[in-house]
This record gives sequence, C-alpha cells and structure tokens, in this order.
Amino acid sequence: MVPSRLGHPNLGLGIGLRTTHFPHILTQHPVVDWFEIISENFMDSRGRPRHVLNQIAERYPVVMHGVSLSIGSTDPLNLDYLRKLRNLAREVNARWVSDHLCWTGVAGRNTHDLLPLPLDEDTLAHVAARVRTVQDFLERPLVLENPSSYVGFATSTMPEWEFLSRLTDQTGCGLLLDVNNVYVSAVNHDFDPFEYIRNVPHNRVVQFHLAGHTNCGTHIVDTHDGPVVDPVWDLYRLAHQLTGGVATLLEWDAKIPPFQVVHDEVLKAKEYMTGDLPIRRQPVALPVTTDGVVPTPLSFIRAEIDGAAAHPAGIY
Amino acid sequence: MTPHGPDRPTLDRVQNWFMAAITHTDGVWQGVASADAQQHIHIAPGEEGSILTRSNALPALDRLAVYGHAYFARLLDCLREEYPVLKHALGDELFDAFASGYLQQFPSRSYTLFDLGTRFPQFLRETRPALDISNPGPDWADFMIDLATLELAFNEVFDGPGIEGEHLLDQAAIMAIPHDRLPDSRLIPAPCLRLLAFRYPVHRYLAAVRRGEEALVPEPAETLLAITRRDFVVRHFELSAPSYAVLSAILNGQTLGEALCEGVGRDDSGELEQTLANWFFEWSAEGFFLGIVDPLEETGGGQLGGSKPSGVDERSSSLQ
Repeated sequence: MVPSRLGHPNLGLGIGLRTTHFPHILTQHPVVDWFEIISENFMDSRGRPRHVLNQIAERYPVVMHGVSLSIGSTDPLNLDYLRKLRNLAREVNARWVSDHLCWTGVAGRNTHDLLPLPLDEDTLAHVAARVRTVQDFLERPLVLENPSSYVGFATSTMPEWEFLSRLTDQTGCGLLLDVNNVYVSAVNHDFDPFEYIRNVPHNRVVQFHLAGHTNCGTHIVDTHDGPVVDPVWDLYRLAHQLTGGVATLLEWDAKIPPFQVVHDEVLKAKEYMTGDLPIRRQPVALPVTTDGVVPTPLSFIRAEIDGAAAHPAGIY
Repeated sequence: MTPHGPDRPTLDRVQNWFMAAITHTDGVWQGVASADAQQHIHIAPGEEGSILTRSNALPALDRLAVYGHAYFARLLDCLREEYPVLKHALGDELFDAFASGYLQQFPSRSYTLFDLGTRFPQFLRETRPALDISNPGPDWADFMIDLATLELAFNEVFDGPGIEGEHLLDQAAIMAIPHDRLPDSRLIPAPCLRLLAFRYPVHRYLAAVRRGEEALVPEPAETLLAITRRDFVVRHFELSAPSYAVLSAILNGQTLGEALCEGVGRDDSGELEQTLANWFFEWSAEGFFLGIVDPLEETGGGQLGGSKPSGVDERSSSLQ
C-alpha cells in the first residue's frame, strides 16, 4: 500500500516564488505556508537570486519545480543538469522535486517549451526507464506534472490519466496534478476533465497546481497571467475530495500583481475544500484573446542592475 | 502512413520532425513541408492526420502552430529582457530582426535561458555591415556591438560568482609580504571583476536610458571600464589607459612589478607612482582583490594553482 502523497506532508497553500515579490517577502515576512521555485532560475545562480532564496529557505518550506528535465526526450539525460538539481535540492532542503511529463528538445537543441508526447506503450517504456534513472540519481522519487497541451498524436493509444497511472505504478514516482492544465487540455482535446480527475491515482498525488489561462476561442492557452476560473475551482474541489487534500500552489507568471493579490487568490482554495456541491456563481462571459498568446514557462530571472543605472562608482 | 502500422515512426523521428516543424521561421505549414522535417517523417500535403490529431475546433496544423508561434515569441521575449537598452537603441523592429537571425544561427542548446543570449554580441559582430573604407573610424554598428557587450557583461556579473562572504585583500595581508618580494607577488582578482574596452561611452548611454532619459548615440570615444559587484549590486568604474593596463596585467596573472610596468608604459603624466598607490588603496577598498600571493609561497605551495585568472573581455576589446 503506497502511503498518501508518497509520505510527503500536505504543506498547505503556497505560491510560486517570483523576483517581483522578493522585496516584500524579505521585508514583510508574510505568513505563507510554502514557496515553489523554478529550479533553473537558481541552480546556477551565484548572485542575488540565490542569496535571496537561501534566506527564504531558512524561513519557509521550499519545493523545486523544473522546466528542463525533458524526461520524454530521446536525447540522453543531462547528468550535469541532474547534478546541479540534486545539489540545489540538498542545499535548500527541497521537500520534493518536480518537472513535467514532456520533452523540451531533441538533437541537442532546447525549445524551452513543454512539448507533448505520443501516449503509447513505447513512450511509456521510454519515459519509465528515464524516470527510474533520474530517481536513482536524485535519490528520491520524482514528481511529474501533467502539462497543458495543444495538439495530440494519432499514434496515442491511451488517455493521459492512464499513461500517468501506469507510469507511477512502474516507477513509484509521484504526481503534481495541475488542475488548470487538466481543464486546458480537456478543452483543447475535447475530453471530460472530471473523468480525468476521477481516474488519476489519488494516493500518488503529492501536489496541486492552480493557475489562470487565456481563452483564444478555438483553444485555451496556459498563460498563468490571471486568477483561477470557476470551472477550474470546481475541478479542484473534486480533486481535493478524492485525494484527501495535498499541498496546493498558485502559479502567476505574467502580469504579476502585488504579493497580497497572489496570496489571496490561493487562499480562495479554502472555500473549495468543504461542502459537497459546486459553489454556484453568476455565469461570467470570459474574454477571448487571439493575439500574442504564449504558453508558459516564461519565468526566468534577469539582472536588476541597480548600479548600472547610476553614475560610475569610481574613476581611475 | 498508418498511425499504428509497422511503419509507425519512432519517438525519436517524431520529436525531430516536430521540432523541425515548430522552429521553422515561416511557420509550421512551411515547417512540415521543409526538407528538415521531411527527412524525419515524409508526409504528403494534407496527410498530417497520420501523425497529429485535430480537435473539434481546430485542424491539426493549426494546433501545431500554437507551439510554432510560442517558440519564437518566447525566445524573442527573453532576448528583449536581456538586452533592453540595445532594443531601445535599435528600435523594436530592427532588434527583433537581429534577434530572429540570432536564434536561427544560435538556437538554444542549454537547459537554462540564462545562456540564450550569451553569443548575441558575437553574432552582431560577425554579421555587421562591411566597414566603410573611406571612413575608418567606429560607426553605428560598433556602437550597437559595444552596447550589447556591456549589457551581457552586466547580466553575467549580476548572477555570476562574487565576493559576498569572501575574505578580501587587506592591509595586513600586504604587510605580511617582505617589501623586496612585493614586485614578484601576484594579486588574486575578485571573480566578478571584468575589464572592458569600447569604442563608444556606452555606459553613459545605458545609464541614461535606464533612468528614462532621452539618449542619443554618443560620439565615439575610447572607453575603458571595470565592472564588478559588491553586496549583490553591479558597479562600474571608468578607467584611464594606465589603470586599465595595470588591472589587465593583474587579471592576466602577471606579477605586481610587471603590472606596474604595463601602467608606466601607458602613462604620459610622469606622476604615476604616487597615483598608483592611491589606486591600489581604493581598488582594495572596493573589493577588486581577494588576496595576494607571496612568490615564495607560490613556489612552495602554489596557491594560484594552474589556472590563470582572467576577467579581461577579449571579445569586445579593440584596444588591447
């Protein structure tokens, strides 16, 4: 019998750590259950981002979420990357390490996107073998997230929830169930998101993601640039009931509002943890956007060159 | 081709085909028809359904186009964030044209986006317009190359190794070395110390743009800078030819005596000796150096090891 959440604690309601909120967190020490970091933003940092992270990790539980593992790629695993991932996890006492069921590039190139996989027996065997290798290297179970996807493959022979279920059975890995991604992919691939939520292995779910998205009319794009929409909250309610509750995190990566707005959004999850019926709300016509929509991940840290904006610090 | 038949493409072929399609500059429709994609999976026009599925709302290639659009949009956005002042100087349209060309010539091969723009100055230098023989001085292209080089250096120093938490060179360390051995001693430069030589005062232009001021492309002028970091803030210093020569020698691992000779060789004032003492005092206070290595210890213990410290940016310098 696998323990719920692979034995990991329910950390409560957390938010993704973003540079724009660094000053608020460092000076106000807000009461937040936990933070999730983008692993690649810190694994090579020798400057202020890493310095800030070290301070935050002393005060709050930290979970690492990566975008470059490329677990589904046919390229060899990048051992240098894995080594840095393992070191960072040790140094910030990461409660767990997650990435996505996807590939990001092939033939040595990286698109920096979370690209979809054909969901068939060959892919399952390929990904399972790589998950085992990564877990051996990291010396801990990997936690994999269901990505948003925008196209499917004619060669797929099983739904994503079945692929993930069998993957967890074969490897012992955990799941990061992104409820917004389930909704986005359900619209894009015309499947029932509630059936998906009902069928994932609930005792393997270690964490939930919540986020906003952009409706493009013919499809939805996972943009992380706004509040969570009501249909996603309804899916969250079901997921919460079926798993018994797991660590829940809100992602907000574009048009990022002040810290308190982001925190208030994830705290809404409390309303959906109780009661049996979906909360009835006034229907809202969601805006449709068609131009310039880019899916996540986009979050990376660029230099804040304080000194460069001033005059020279000295003349010799 | 049938989705589940014996000629079903391998995952490796599918991924190579997919990437060739979504990274094509003219869009996925041209991408799937390209030789690059076709060498991995040969699909006749209109037969994309053998690989990709459609949804109720969108045909297969329209769905693939979400990834194709995102590929360039995402990476262009990253380059715009990395080079905001160069983008300001070039204008949005020209910047995007250069950045698109760069992404085609140097697609990302790293797990991190921090590496995405590291060769952008090199790309600009290699693709710059031919020099005007009738006007041999620096031109507009040189200004843009210098500006890109400075922005990259600021970014790299910001998040690279620094001196925070390190023990720095102090008076006691210098006094511990007998006076007669000082000329043969070597200073250990801070890992974040960089020297840059430019043809334009690009640092003033960059600072003006960052302050939101109206900035015009300046007149060319030899510009020598030291860049370093203290308390996680990037700082820059204007250097004269002698001070640049002294610091360059130190960064190249030369002894103090050799470094001073380099400085004297570039000095016209005849007063360098007293000035040098002040420079070293102030540079030490600014955290330019981590320590000093006594030549005897160097011989015995080899504190500097085999690595040759160097923060002189030879990519940009036209003056060294």
